[in-house]
Amino acid sequence: MTDEPLLESTGSKQASANAAARQDDLRDLIERLTLEQPYAVLCTQGKGQPYGSLVALAVTDDLSSAVFATPMTTRKYRLLCDCDHVALVIDSRSQSVDDMMQIEAVTATGRAKQLSPGTEFEQMARLLVGRHPQLDVFVRSPSTAVFRVEIIRYFHVSRFQEVRQWIPTRG
Amino acid sequence: MDSDAWVIPLAEAATVDQQQIGGKAAHLARLHQTGFPVAPGCCITVAAYERFLQANQLPLMIQMELGRKPLEDLRWEELWDSALRIRNRFAEAQLPGQVEHAIRRAVRDLGSRTPLAVRSSAPGEDSANRSFAGLHESFLHVVGEDDVVESVRLVWASLWSDAALLYRQELALNPLHSRMAVLIQEMRIEDCSGVAFGRDPRMEDSENAVVEAVPGPCCELVDGSVDPDRWLVHRASRQVVRFTPGRRDGDPQNEPLLAQHDLESLLALLDRVEAHFGWCPDIEWTGRSDRSTVLQARPITRGRLDPNDKRPWYLTLRPDQRRLRQLGQLVAEQLIPELRELGDRLAAEPVEQMTDSELADCIEARLAQLNRWKQIYWDDFIPFAHGVRYLGVYYNDAVHPEDPYEFVGLLRGVAMLAGQRNRSLQALADQVRESQELRNAIQQIVLEQSVPGEGANDRWVDRLSSLAEGDRFVKAFQSFARQFMDVAFGGHRLIDEPTPLLQNILELASRSAATRGTKEGQQSQEGPTAGDLEQRLLAAVGTDRHDEAREVLRLARLSWQLRDDDNLLVARVESQLLRALHVAGTRLKTSGRLNADAKITADAAERIGAAMSEPNGQPVLLPTTEEVTSHPMRASSGDSPRQLVGQPAAQGLASGNVRLVRGPQDLGRFQAGEVLVCDAIQPMMTHLVPLASAVIERRGGMLIHGAIIARELGIPCVNGVAHVVELLQNGQYVTVDGYLGIVTMGPPEFNLELLERQDGG
Repeated sequence: MTDEPLLESTGSKQASANAAARQDDLRDLIERLTLEQPYAVLCTQGKGQPYGSLVALAVTDDLSSAVFATPMTTRKYRLLCDCDHVALVIDSRSQSVDDMMQIEAVTATGRAKQLSPGTEFEQMARLLVGRHPQLDVFVRSPSTAVFRVEIIRYFHVSRFQEVRQWIPTRG
Repeated sequence: MDSDAWVIPLAEAATVDQQQIGGKAAHLARLHQTGFPVAPGCCITVAAYERFLQANQLPLMIQMELGRKPLEDLRWEELWDSALRIRNRFAEAQLPGQVEHAIRRAVRDLGSRTPLAVRSSAPGEDSANRSFAGLHESFLHVVGEDDVVESVRLVWASLWSDAALLYRQELALNPLHSRMAVLIQEMRIEDCSGVAFGRDPRMEDSENAVVEAVPGPCCELVDGSVDPDRWLVHRASRQVVRFTPGRRDGDPQNEPLLAQHDLESLLALLDRVEAHFGWCPDIEWTGRSDRSTVLQARPITRGRLDPNDKRPWYLTLRPDQRRLRQLGQLVAEQLIPELRELGDRLAAEPVEQMTDSELADCIEARLAQLNRWKQIYWDDFIPFAHGVRYLGVYYNDAVHPEDPYEFVGLLRGVAMLAGQRNRSLQALADQVRESQELRNAIQQIVLEQSVPGEGANDRWVDRLSSLAEGDRFVKAFQSFARQFMDVAFGGHRLIDEPTPLLQNILELASRSAATRGTKEGQQSQEGPTAGDLEQRLLAAVGTDRHDEAREVLRLARLSWQLRDDDNLLVARVESQLLRALHVAGTRLKTSGRLNADAKITADAAERIGAAMSEPNGQPVLLPTTEEVTSHPMRASSGDSPRQLVGQPAAQGLASGNVRLVRGPQDLGRFQAGEVLVCDAIQPMMTHLVPLASAVIERRGGMLIHGAIIARELGIPCVNGVAHVVELLQNGQYVTVDGYLGIVTMGPPEFNLELLERQDGG
């Protein structure tokens, strides 16, 4: 399996500058949505069959990674073990049920990696529990797996069909 | 926010919105302002509670705790568990700096060495339609800033007490909207206290007031631990209509606690309070005549008690230490020995040799004894079982452990009848494991006796006794059966049915020694010992309270031990009733006076007894024996459960085939490694648990039989799974996650080895 190629930037310098400004703006939009929305739909697949699961999510400050947890007895855990290519859908539909044009959605694509006990596990577990303190016991349970998703890019959708993409830089 | 918003002196609170300080504080503040005798104090506002909650993100925790399943599906034990966990989180949580500072300053203003009362004052708690006296906690004689802060936390937590959760609908409890204020007042210590109702609360149109008085503080009247003197007084004429003296042990003088002028003074107080508020009051007071102080004033509740409402009974299940001590003495020294002696005596009676008339009398007497002991079970045994819960709260308040169930470790090693039985059963299994010949013979007997015939029991005894190791086994088996299996379970006498027990022994013998070793090894290594925890408790309470702590521990261990034994001993009396009924039933069937396929149960005792006493009476027709062979799945096709949620009651993760145990007919079918699924593990079936890979129960609770035994054996247990017996089927493969409290249907989709590697590090 491979990721789809990045879209090429084209056009004049001015267009590039405008594009850069829009990208900054887009980053803020994505950040705001990930801060406002505590949950995401996790998309996994296995043998050609897609599968979606609602997960409690937290995203790092630089938006380059997301973290979620799942019991190991679940279908999504097995699918994640078989294939680490995932997507996460975060959206604002619950705030704009009556006005579709106000809904924003972000699809983040990336690779999921199960974290073993250690420094990275502690950092990400702390991030997740900080966002969802009620999940403290769940996240620390021996039968729970904590996954970090390394986000390759975001697709932002607004006004029904306006789609833009943004690639986070790590750091 | 200004710190004044967190704490308001009572003297300045008369105009504050009742929603901010609660009904109790608001009423007292208004009385104080008008010159009524009210002890000085202050109110910790609802805003302070909200600030505390938000700072510690407690609403999310409460939502998680109470949102696991519909509240109406939660049993009382589960509510108690939820309340304990919430209480623990409140006790651990940090008070926001400004709030804590304001409370400490208020305590200093009242006097750092002044004994204080710290009481709940929830908005809406004391309206005319709702009165929830005793549902929330109060703490008396609290001295010093630290102890007051601690008490405030626990009063806040009591908004979510087991009692409050029982009445959640009436209280309109909502994790997002329910609030609690706290009232702190100087203690008034007088030699007499009580309550006074402006009219008899049982009758809307009564012209009489009711006054009750006890020696000492009022709390002992409110919690029911002291029987009060009681007066019915005509409100207008002040004439006493009826006086009922309280029955109090050790009360040297039987003189009424109040004189006529004391009663008149209290009625005058009622008049003034009613005139002030405009509603007929119910007040708590302390001190006679001119020394009296109003502790509380609220409208008399209009609500009437529903006779079918069992919740008031649950509220009695919170005995204080004194009541527990009384119960402990009664149960351990009188009732249990009496019950044990009764079982022995009935077992020795030669019912088989009795005449019909004697047998009729015997059945009548045994039924009366069984009913008496069932009543005692509800009245004394169950309330005493709460000694364990008393210890839980006591330990958590003193030690503040991270795990709210750490205290259960204090009960390790308490000798219970069921434990003794399981060890004896294992010894029988060990004998079978050591002798291939014996094992083969028992397997053959089990196969042949799946449909037991007349005289079958004698035949298997003869066959086994003829083997080299057989005689020793048979003697041990028969001794075991007499000692432990002479109990009734689901209308059956287990002693009459040896085949299931032989099957269980074969299964126990089939477990490899290595498997048993691993489980037992895990058990012994886990957590601190009972001795460690006892030291932790003693260190936390301080030297002055060592005797008190040891007493709490003693009572808890006694209640832990007896909660199991009492079940088995009552079941033994029922078994003896069944024994007499079986003899009578056989005679009646032989003489054609009872249908041949009648099922003999304790429910039919009166009819069978009557038939025995009337030789020429009409034939009796009883329902026939029916065995449940299958159970319809609750879910229809196309709507099948994939993952069930309950409470994580014993840690661990295991997969296996479901074995439903719905009654005695299923006991013998249990195979080693299966997942035991049942409504509730009864003391009569705990011997199956060591065979199980995991346990799932509909009944929920951390302190119920199944959970306790599973934890001791290191077997994962999920309980409180609604409708589980209807949702699962025999042979279905499931995975039980005792860490998270979930049961997943179907083949495992995870790698257990991977989990073990991570868990083990």
